[in-house]
Amino acid sequence: MTTLTFPPPVESETAEVLRTEVRTFLAETNAQRIPLERAESWNGFDREFSRAMGRRGWLGMTWPKEYGGHERSAFERYVVVEETLAAGAPVAAHWIADRQSGPTLLRHGTEAQKRAILPRIAAGECVFCIGMSEPDAGSDLAATRTRAERQGDGSWKVNGTKLWTTYGHEADYMILFCRTSGSPADRHKGTSQLLVDMKATSGVTVRPIHDLMGQHHFNEVHFEDAVLPPDALLGTEGQGWAQVMGELAYERSGPERFLSSIQLLIELIGALRSSESVAAQSAVGRLFAHLVTLRQMSRGVAALLEAGEDPTVHAAIVKDLGATFEQDLPDIARSLVDEEPDLQSTSDFAAVLAYTTMAAPAFSLRGGTREILRGIIARQLGLR
Amino acid sequence: MDDISSILFESAQRLLSDLSARAPIGQPMAEQDRADGWRQIEEMGLPFALTSEEQGGLGLSDADAFELVRICGRRIAPWPLVETMLANRFAAEGGTVSAEGPVELLGELTAEQREVAALARAMQMAGALDMILGMTISHVQERSQFGRPLAKFQAVQHSLAILASEVAAGQAAAEHAVARLAQGGSSATLAIGIARARIGEASSKAAAIAHQLHGAIGYAREHRLHLYTTSLWRWRDEYGTQAWWTRQVGRQVLAAGPDALWPMVTAA
Repeated sequence: MTTLTFPPPVESETAEVLRTEVRTFLAETNAQRIPLERAESWNGFDREFSRAMGRRGWLGMTWPKEYGGHERSAFERYVVVEETLAAGAPVAAHWIADRQSGPTLLRHGTEAQKRAILPRIAAGECVFCIGMSEPDAGSDLAATRTRAERQGDGSWKVNGTKLWTTYGHEADYMILFCRTSGSPADRHKGTSQLLVDMKATSGVTVRPIHDLMGQHHFNEVHFEDAVLPPDALLGTEGQGWAQVMGELAYERSGPERFLSSIQLLIELIGALRSSESVAAQSAVGRLFAHLVTLRQMSRGVAALLEAGEDPTVHAAIVKDLGATFEQDLPDIARSLVDEEPDLQSTSDFAAVLAYTTMAAPAFSLRGGTREILRGIIARQLGLR
Repeated sequence: MDDISSILFESAQRLLSDLSARAPIGQPMAEQDRADGWRQIEEMGLPFALTSEEQGGLGLSDADAFELVRICGRRIAPWPLVETMLANRFAAEGGTVSAEGPVELLGELTAEQREVAALARAMQMAGALDMILGMTISHVQERSQFGRPLAKFQAVQHSLAILASEVAAGQAAAEHAVARLAQGGSSATLAIGIARARIGEASSKAAAIAHQLHGAIGYAREHRLHLYTTSLWRWRDEYGTQAWWTRQVGRQVLAAGPDALWPMVTAA
């Protein structure tokens, strides 16, 4: 068989019990959140909400208890993640840490790093940002120029610039991907990951970058002779590329890769509710079929993760199909409902349509562009 | 899947590969070859794959029986084997006598029978999609233009990535519907609608890409590609057109309303 098959999702009763608990919790904590706010999806930032998630034991769910985790399955974590996204809850203050920074620390961190940080992430008290992209290293991540040089006392001196750093202005830590030896011509050789305390490191400047809507999520993070302690190294010196690829597998594997526009689908169904139109039924039926199928495939990725298998290619397929689905939604919605998109509108449909239209271009850029993902899939097919 | 099923799958795959390789492409088969081929299919018991053991079938679970249907889609041979499987299942359920020889057309179907037949088409499509993906990968690796294999062109790689993704999605949707049918209960109807909507779309996109990447060679009558693509174009609209199935899903989602969307997704 040629096809990249997805393992069937595992049905778990404990996970379904948990689903009910999460829905009840969200119905209370999220009640005041209006549709336009929900449409922000995983960009909504609220430290208090993240702490409440931590108190419930819904962060760091799969990690060992000794590091503040809860030793639950990947399927249970999946339930919490998809329910918070579907409800449009403000998850950004824990999102990156829970999804990728924590797992990367767990895999590569020293005992001291794990003990110091993981329990704080699991409590919803610790915000992480990602230190990957640079002005001249976007899709071509191996072109990184940011450099950390080992000093005589073992400390690291960092110079360079990271870009598109989401919530860098709120973050307590960054996992910095950079060069620790050689030159950009050496590509992925000589790269490492370092843990940066964003609040306590001098020589780090965070400047806002506003997106096309005028919102401030992105930043430029500039390092000028910033000194990191000797124990800032995360994992093995020179193994940064392999580590960062592992981190990206976490970043690409979740349901956030097809649920970003779900609020618009909810509003569309509301606007079409009484419609007997064939066009409406066809469009909504098609979108629903896509959504359910993407979810099946995505839960298959969770099954791969739980089995300890490499989910890179499967995650790339779900992310590519998922971004296309999320991005198609605004045009489908506006072809069915005669309402002008307007962020200021009192109509939830019109406001959410305007928001999602403007958010959509990022869906196939963030976390690996469409072109990069298709390259990964093509390599798996034996074409590269 | 148990050992007996996997042995059966292997034998069926071998037999159907063999028969399909011997059948002339795009021309009628000699009467004698036709009769011999069908006899071999019957000797393996394949026409009773979808019939329960108590009713004289092979004793396969629904999940395994539909795997055999997928194999029929992967190795298209000029006998209406899946139609015969369905006819025998429905005859046994209705307490009537099974057909002698291959069944070309099913008669009037109940709503429930139509769902089973629609799901069989989805699994045949899953098999055919797998096949055209493999054929297309081989073709772009073997065929060179401008001094290098087609596979080395990025535009070709990206088209194939889309093809592979559509195939994966179509198959996931069909497999999910089989799982729901095997579980019993009322959720199978919606899952079959979802499968037919999704794999129908995947078939359209995949067939178009497969033809594009095969170039003129794949448009020739003597090439095997059209056995699969023309089958996909037929199957996606049989036992309920793709449009009909898609509307059934849409009608249910709209009737349930916006607040029911997410619970409906997680229950689907």
